[in-house]
Amino acid sequence: MLLLGAVALAACGGDSDDGADGSDSEDVAGATADAEFEVYALLPQGNDQPYGTTYLPPMEAKAAELGLNLTITNSQYDADKQASECEVAVAAEPDLIILWPAVGDTVRPCLEAANDAGIPVTVTNSDVNPEDKDLTAAYSGPDTYGQGVASAEIFCDLAAGEDVGIIMVNGLTGNSTAIDREAGFEDTVNEQCPNVEILARQPGNWNKDDSQLAASEMITAVGAENIGGVYAADDTMVAGVIDALKARDIDPADLIVTSIGNTFLGNPLVLSGELDGTVFQSSSWDGENAATTAHEVLTGGADGDRVVKFMPSVKVTTDNAESPDVAPEW
Amino acid sequence: MTDTSTKVAVASQPAAQLDLSERDFRPIDWLAQRGIFVFTTVLILVAAVFIDGFASLANITDVFNRAAPIGIVAVGMTFVVISANYLDLSVVAQVATAAVVLIGVSNEYNIVAAMALSLVIALTYGLINGVAVGVFDANAVIVTLSTTFIGLGLLRWLTGGSIYFGPPESLIRSFGTTKIGPFPLSMLVLILMAVLLSLVLTRTNFGFLVRSYGSNRAATRLAGVNTAWVVIGAFMISAIGAMIGGFVLAAFSNTAVSSMSTGFDFEALAAIIVGGTSVFGGRGSVMRTLLGVVFVSVLTNIMVLSGLGFGYQQMAIGALIVTAVSIDALARKATLS
Amino acid sequence: MTAALELGSGESGDNLLARVRTVLGRRTEGRAVALLAVVAVVTAFLEPVVFTSYPVTLGRIALIGLVALGLTAVILMGELDLSVASTLAVSGVVMASIESLPLGIVAALLVGLMIGAANAFFVVAVGINSFIATLGMLFFLRGSAFVLSNEEPVRLANRDAGIAFGKPFLGPLTPRMLLFIGAFIALQVFVTRVRVGREFYAVGGNREAAYDAGIPVTRRIVTGFMISGFVAAMAGVINTLERTAADPTAGSTVLLASFAAAIVGGVLLTGGRGSIFGTLLGATSLGILQVALTLSGVQVDVQNIVIGLVLLLAVITDPNSVRGVVGSVRSLLQGRSRA
Repeated sequence: MLLLGAVALAACGGDSDDGADGSDSEDVAGATADAEFEVYALLPQGNDQPYGTTYLPPMEAKAAELGLNLTITNSQYDADKQASECEVAVAAEPDLIILWPAVGDTVRPCLEAANDAGIPVTVTNSDVNPEDKDLTAAYSGPDTYGQGVASAEIFCDLAAGEDVGIIMVNGLTGNSTAIDREAGFEDTVNEQCPNVEILARQPGNWNKDDSQLAASEMITAVGAENIGGVYAADDTMVAGVIDALKARDIDPADLIVTSIGNTFLGNPLVLSGELDGTVFQSSSWDGENAATTAHEVLTGGADGDRVVKFMPSVKVTTDNAESPDVAPEW
Repeated sequence: MTDTSTKVAVASQPAAQLDLSERDFRPIDWLAQRGIFVFTTVLILVAAVFIDGFASLANITDVFNRAAPIGIVAVGMTFVVISANYLDLSVVAQVATAAVVLIGVSNEYNIVAAMALSLVIALTYGLINGVAVGVFDANAVIVTLSTTFIGLGLLRWLTGGSIYFGPPESLIRSFGTTKIGPFPLSMLVLILMAVLLSLVLTRTNFGFLVRSYGSNRAATRLAGVNTAWVVIGAFMISAIGAMIGGFVLAAFSNTAVSSMSTGFDFEALAAIIVGGTSVFGGRGSVMRTLLGVVFVSVLTNIMVLSGLGFGYQQMAIGALIVTAVSIDALARKATLS
Repeated sequence: MTAALELGSGESGDNLLARVRTVLGRRTEGRAVALLAVVAVVTAFLEPVVFTSYPVTLGRIALIGLVALGLTAVILMGELDLSVASTLAVSGVVMASIESLPLGIVAALLVGLMIGAANAFFVVAVGINSFIATLGMLFFLRGSAFVLSNEEPVRLANRDAGIAFGKPFLGPLTPRMLLFIGAFIALQVFVTRVRVGREFYAVGGNREAAYDAGIPVTRRIVTGFMISGFVAAMAGVINTLERTAADPTAGSTVLLASFAAAIVGGVLLTGGRGSIFGTLLGATSLGILQVALTLSGVQVDVQNIVIGLVLLLAVITDPNSVRGVVGSVRSLLQGRSRA
């Protein structure tokens, strides 16, 4: 019986070998001659999320170009899984670890372990807490809070001192990007245009269908006549809100609508006037800079100071939506 | 052995076992069905009186939009539950795959090719799950967990995980936006599926075999029934339900992405068992599942209308699942004593 | 393999087959042993780091396995606990919300015990089956974790204690591993050597008979659920300490991983058969496999496909499955001749 299991599983083990060999040879083919640095990239998403899908290829391409041999993990936003992957990474003794924290508050032990092992860590996409920054060599990525701020600034400009009631669709509950964007938007609105009032808020889980349903129900809850605007934490979700408004025969162009992303879904909505403004988040910038920043640190270009590269939070409105600088990527 | 004699032989077995299994598993009897019906009615009436906008036409449409995709998945999965195989976790992968294939292949080729490919994939899922559980006698939870891993892995590997958007004007789009009165087409699909599958479960030999297999596996096997086909059939129906659920979900938002069906496994199961189908198999009905789906959808809708956040929504759903089922159980105890 | 060959050789093999069956029938860990052997050998050749850096692998096994150990106690009795992952999350949040660390730990563990007691209350006192009761608790407790934490991670007041907790304590072993080993030994002894624990098998195997034999079935079920709740809360405490913060979304991958470990380990989901040791083997195989795949650098999606294939193969190459195949093939053939 053991043998039966063994043979059957060996066949499966064979599968995994093929997989490993296949991807290795691909890497070599894509890379310049041989990789110079071993780098672990601990990410909380990958091909399971639209953003990760367009973040990964530029990162891998850049890494191959710079001679970084990447080993990528995906913890699916499970902080415990990422911590365990961090232990694996430290044990493998790579030249550097790129970290995209699943949950920012939980990464300090990982950073300390890497530090103790003398492995530099660079952070991508979501920065670590201020007191943990000295344990990391660099950060590159968007200013997530700042994106919420930028979206609110567009909103406040358009509200122009009028009283506006809005509904708000946030990202997945408990997700750090969702928390930061919500805080950025809300803080800025309270500060700069207290005339804008958030009447209802619900999570849209980064999905169009969830957002569409939640928005439609919020419209019922607060009354269509009371709604002067909408904020959604990303373009996919704002597209859902716009569909929900249209299904109620409300013209989104009559409302102030802002979001974040400038994606393939959001950019055309800006052009059509249904979405008044969004904030460009470039997944390719994010992915590429994760690799270049890591390379910079590895090759000593950093001079010991913490490298920080913020993705510019470009506001996209009808004025610039057609500009090639803000061509959507995901 | 002819088909008729099989039927008789099997029918007598579960009946003989009934008393024992009553005490063993405390299955929910007919009172449960009435209980959940009363519960849903009360919930709807209370909401209609106390919550502004609940009874509006637009909101009824929202409830139906909530109910349709998960409901279609749940009525199909009901067969797996009744066949005493716990649940089909792989609906998560199946719904996402059907949605991505529908939009992705329609964009590239046409909708007929998309639906044909989806059907092939669905039947493959049904076959693999069904053979592993029905022929190899493997545990359905782990089998469908494995096929979820494999299925989502393949989907994301092959498509790179991209999000797919349908064109602004298309058959899929108009399906997603058309309403008849307060009924979105998806809700009509759910009702049609529920009626059809209900007939399959109650009026066909196959449905009969699913129920007898669920209540007494060994006896059904001993009676000479080809039980492998019964299990394969149950997983096939679950797969078809998941496929159509994926279509409807994709049509609703005119987008498809591999993460859109997260949570469908346990949400569908919640609807099934809130409806009163026994998780130990044998007993249950498709119409009860439909009722369960309406119950959960109304509840979520009420929470959102009341402005309660995700945490409170989950707490309320959990509390009401337990309360609803507890009331049934206690009522049943009272009648027995 | 032997079994399969003998089956092929036909009726004459029935006697031997029966003997093989009896031997196999006694142990439930066969599949887990086979899986572990294959995974370990393949890994030793391809990714030896898995073994040279064994503390890391052990850490992963402890992460997957701890909740599964407690869950096994419930499954042995033919009941299920779907609320373990939510218990882990909510107990972590409770712990982090309390200023004093020792008080927080005690409170979290008490919460685990209370959740177990509540689950048992619904099952034995109200009389709804555990699948439904704990599914309700899964949603309720997850919601509670979000409400209590205000939908954000809660940081420990004493982060240094948390960081120290994550460091090796005894040789290369961290407190997590020691607690995991401790929990394993305690539960293994409990279900094999202690009468109360041994009666779990009777409760799960044939409840009628257990009643008739005078076993206090109700009390055993309460004990089982409280063990499961306690162990899940313990995992929540350990995770929160090691991470220095409690995350209300924690445990998203825990429920299914725990079930996988137990079932691959030969624990029968309908109760009565299986062992704590089997669950340990199941968790060990999955842990080694996961770490090896991470190290291999294979694309994550492909890793998931491999994990799925291994699970599927493991579960269909079970002795029971082989018997099942034979039965089904026979009935399929009969079906054909009948048609």
